Amino acid sequence: MISYKSKTLDNLAVVEAAEKALDKTCITAEEFQQIKTAYPVDLYTPNIYMRFGLFILTLVVVFFSFGLFCLIFMGGGETAIAGLTLFFGACLYGAVEYMVNEKKHYKSGVDAALMWMSGGAVTGAVFVLADTHVSLSGMSLLFLILSMLFVLRFADVSMSIVAYLAFLTLSFSLLIYSGRMVIPFMLMGVSLGTYLLSRKLTAIHACRHYASCLKMIQILSLITLYLAGNYFVVREASNEMFDLYLKPGESIPGAWIFWIFTIIIPPIYIFAGIRKKDSILIRTGLFLVAAIVFTIRTYHSVAPIEVAMTLGGVILIALAYGVTKLLMPSRNGFTSEQTDDDKTDAIQLEAVIIAQSFNQQAPQGDQFNFGGGTGSGGGASGSY
Amino acid sequence: MDIHLFEKLQQEGLISPDSTEKVRVLSRNKLFSLHWELKTILYLGVLLLSGGLGILIYKNIDTIGHQAILAMIALVCAGCFFYCFKQKLPFSWNRVAAPNGFFDYVLLLGCLTFLTFITYLQIQYNVFGTRYGAATFFPMLVLLFSAYYFDHLGILSMAITNFAAWLGLTVTPMRLLSANDFASQRIIYTGIFVGLLLVFVAYMGDRLDRKKHFAFTYSNFGVHVFMIACLAGLMGGGLGSSYEPDNSYMLWFLLLAGATAFFYTQALKKRSFYFLLIVALYGYVGVSYVVVRLLVAANSIEAFYAGLLYFIGSGIGAVIFLMNTSRKLKKA
Repeated sequence: MISYKSKTLDNLAVVEAAEKALDKTCITAEEFQQIKTAYPVDLYTPNIYMRFGLFILTLVVVFFSFGLFCLIFMGGGETAIAGLTLFFGACLYGAVEYMVNEKKHYKSGVDAALMWMSGGAVTGAVFVLADTHVSLSGMSLLFLILSMLFVLRFADVSMSIVAYLAFLTLSFSLLIYSGRMVIPFMLMGVSLGTYLLSRKLTAIHACRHYASCLKMIQILSLITLYLAGNYFVVREASNEMFDLYLKPGESIPGAWIFWIFTIIIPPIYIFAGIRKKDSILIRTGLFLVAAIVFTIRTYHSVAPIEVAMTLGGVILIALAYGVTKLLMPSRNGFTSEQTDDDKTDAIQLEAVIIAQSFNQQAPQGDQFNFGGGTGSGGGASGSY
Repeated sequence: MDIHLFEKLQQEGLISPDSTEKVRVLSRNKLFSLHWELKTILYLGVLLLSGGLGILIYKNIDTIGHQAILAMIALVCAGCFFYCFKQKLPFSWNRVAAPNGFFDYVLLLGCLTFLTFITYLQIQYNVFGTRYGAATFFPMLVLLFSAYYFDHLGILSMAITNFAAWLGLTVTPMRLLSANDFASQRIIYTGIFVGLLLVFVAYMGDRLDRKKHFAFTYSNFGVHVFMIACLAGLMGGGLGSSYEPDNSYMLWFLLLAGATAFFYTQALKKRSFYFLLIVALYGYVGVSYVVVRLLVAANSIEAFYAGLLYFIGSGIGAVIFLMNTSRKLKKA
């Protein structure tokens, strides 16, 4: 199924594990070299920044190649162009296979760019051929088939996102006729089923090369499980789709069920995550706590925003302080200390985030004065 | 770490029993870390608290209650700085670790409340008069001092954005392009100046061994601001036309080319994939602009085809270039 040689990927996993052990000084450098020779990996995986750059540049190349293609075959009418696009998409797929099998690209950015453009070309061509009369279920089915092809062949994480969302849309488009009250529950069921399935698959040896895709699907299915039962989502979505014309303050039937889901699911995630020591559950749960706050504040203004922010800030700081003190130095296998060693990059990223969130904008108009000097040409009036 | 894997490696004679034992001890005592979760919660807490206090005082500025709020802000600020001065490890020009997990966030809260306090004083009492520059300059000094004295990269980047704002430039990462009017010559020259200065500070800090680890933050802001200002200068004249040849853009192109070459060698020297990539991309954009401009001046259908071929060829060339350079960097 997978386009890469299974043996090579296994070797890669061994070398990565050995690299970690080397970082922790469990094994010596000579031992690491021995392992590397015994488990050869001939894949090309560039640094993350290079991957980004290669992705962008490949997109540029493919875009302009397509433009040239179209120019040459211009004048053939809509169908000809669509057929050409379909052919182009197939060529791109061939290009991915070539890059993977011959050039040994593995998560290089080039492969992802070619995949996205290939999928885009095929769906675009189908759209034009069908004269844009594609039903929601047909469209999502097409997306699902294409993205599943890429996931199975190349284990691409971004394509697994598309595949899951297409799958969910497909389920939704099939369920929409089963009655409006059951849709949220059905979608929750589908999400839960996907989550449990992906957890099962993760444990199966044959699926080991898809571990990161399955991880992504776990995160997504946990989120959609929550969103399908979230009061805000259910109320606003049914209001839009079934023309309920709800006025502010009015509610949907059975609102209390969704309020319970809204409030109870994230704590369940966190609790289950702590019990199972599963960081996916913990992080998703923490992230969704923000969704609880947002949902409640949308319908019930408990306090003015600034008071809520101040109090919330104090509570969060106190919470972090309390948990850290509790875990000092460690308790029940938990610690607040850092265990992974990717420190420098994370700190640089944090600095960028701080600069972003507390932004300093240049003063505008007459507020501006060049270093306290005069006549800087800043504005039309005021403090020249 | 998977102990079974290392047991297998030992059987194959690749690692010694000693090493396997080390892995076994480590994987048995493996702790589940909540480090980043707690840091994020703490960060959000600081963000909300400082933001909330800021809005609180802004909304109550005409009521009697605002003095109480002001006193509270001053108290929080003073408390934070007091804590930092008491807890900090001795100053050094090298990297100084934070004494505990909270130190960085207490300092951040202190600096943010300080900014709120200064803004309030300016609005209410006009302390800096009409010299608005001083109202940005003074906090910048405090931020810069805190960044160096307590060794905090986040505060340093706040100081840098503050410094640029004082000169009339917004360098907040996601707003660099949207918040500045790059059609204005003054903004472009300010950008060139700020960029050069920041890169220079990074270079000197690295050379004189003064807070070497700040160099990345300085040059990150510096290179982006400089290159964007350069590209803005280059593209200021639009795509030009075949009727009025105006070759002043060539000067900008020379500047860009020189800067690209310089930053490129620096990136190779520092073995930074990140800088290598951004410099290569900025350089590529600049070259492509000049090529497109020349082709537009030629004004023919052949030129159009040549443009398409240029992008295909140069794109492939750039991909190969990046792949080779990154191989070189990895091996070096």
